[in-house]
Amino acid sequence: MYDKQVVRRRRAVLAVLVGLSIVLLTGYFGEGNGGFFHSIQSGAQTVLSPIEDGASRAFKPVRDLVGWFGDVFNAKDENKQLKKDLAAARAESTRVAVLQRDNDQLRKELKLTDDLGYSTSSRLTARVIVKSPTVWYSTVTINSGKSDGVRVDQPVVNGDGLVGKVTAATGGTATVTLITDGSSNVPAQIDPDGAHGIVTPSVGDPNDMQLQYIGKNHPVKVGAKVVTSGSAPGPLQSIFPRGIPIGEVSRVDTADLELYRKVHIRPFADLRRLDFLTVLTGKPQISPATAGGTTP
Amino acid sequence: MSLTPATLLRTGVLVLLAVVLQISGFSQMRILGGYIDLIPLVVGAVAIYAGSVPGAIVGFCTGLLIDLALGQNLGATSLVLTALGYGVGRYRDLRDPAHGLLPIPVAAAATLGYLAAFAAVSFMLEIGSSVSPLVLREAIITVLLNVAVALPFFALVRRVLRPVLAVDPAVRMRRRADPIESGPLGLRGLEVRR
Repeated sequence: MYDKQVVRRRRAVLAVLVGLSIVLLTGYFGEGNGGFFHSIQSGAQTVLSPIEDGASRAFKPVRDLVGWFGDVFNAKDENKQLKKDLAAARAESTRVAVLQRDNDQLRKELKLTDDLGYSTSSRLTARVIVKSPTVWYSTVTINSGKSDGVRVDQPVVNGDGLVGKVTAATGGTATVTLITDGSSNVPAQIDPDGAHGIVTPSVGDPNDMQLQYIGKNHPVKVGAKVVTSGSAPGPLQSIFPRGIPIGEVSRVDTADLELYRKVHIRPFADLRRLDFLTVLTGKPQISPATAGGTTP
Repeated sequence: MSLTPATLLRTGVLVLLAVVLQISGFSQMRILGGYIDLIPLVVGAVAIYAGSVPGAIVGFCTGLLIDLALGQNLGATSLVLTALGYGVGRYRDLRDPAHGLLPIPVAAAATLGYLAAFAAVSFMLEIGSSVSPLVLREAIITVLLNVAVALPFFALVRRVLRPVLAVDPAVRMRRRADPIESGPLGLRGLEVRR
């Protein structure tokens, strides 16, 4: 089995072939483009090219078939990738839209509180993190609390107008009771004639509130603006500073047997969509009247 | 395998067909990012059926033909395929494997060895730029595709080479399949001679 001659011949063949390969390699590398090995190569290519061409033509249907399968595979992959891209673009678009909306809200809040005369140190913007799921308790929770300077009974606004007041505060969160909550009473006046009343909610309808105690003989126009009055019945001052917009008169009901008109107002603030709120933690530096209008 | 005109003709046609089919057909049919590579398969098949010396010679000729046809560096593919044919042939010489599924590991090892060795030679010769990791993926897919076609391809090569082989692989397989006789104690060497 281990015949020496066979082994020698085998090794010799291997050595010759490897040597030939190395000679070819070095020769090919060492010469220019018109050298011996290059000439042989170009000659071989000339001879082989018709065969390759024929084979290529003969193979075309098979190649096309395989290519078709490949395209289907690629199309599937491409489809998957495009779906992924679309989802990413949608997410990005949603994110941009949310940021845009947040930006608009924050700008409006900033403008309103500026108009009301509040400086940066006397206001605090917070994000709504919890919303009450029932219509009976219209509260939201914000992500700022006592540690940020939030205290009970501080008024809360958004860019459109009055939203409510702080009714509870912990270290890092605070509960804001909205003006649509059944327990809410906001001293208000009709702008510009100054008739005073109390704004109370219509539980279950966040778009309708009532301005109570407006005398029958007092003319009220639909569309008139209602703002906080800043005063409360009796010796106490209202917790809501004067001039915060609440809403506009939407309807006026007059009953013959009643002493007062029933004035319906539509709140400026969309209380079903609250993302950012500003808590008025301090006093205004200048009065709203001097600061300019409070148009939401 | 003895050196006769029939042997030369059969192996020559086999190699030429494999090279032409590879460069005109299979190398252009991308499947899952890779392609079937008949070159290591044909060299591996000849080597496993004919032995190390025919394997090395066929490897050298196949490599030379490829280098000539593709205008590559002459000698690079020859060097790699010579080593491949010799290595597979030596495995056959030493172990005399005869399992029916032998083409699968042989095809995998031959393809992997060919791709790795060719990459190494290319790096040593002229490739100086960075290489994408996708090359690795393509190599793996090529190995898998070659494994997938190994059984029919090796059967085809065996059919072509059978008339010129010294020992028919099918006969070797049958010979290997014979039950081993044993003696009354179940020990080999103590069998009853008839």
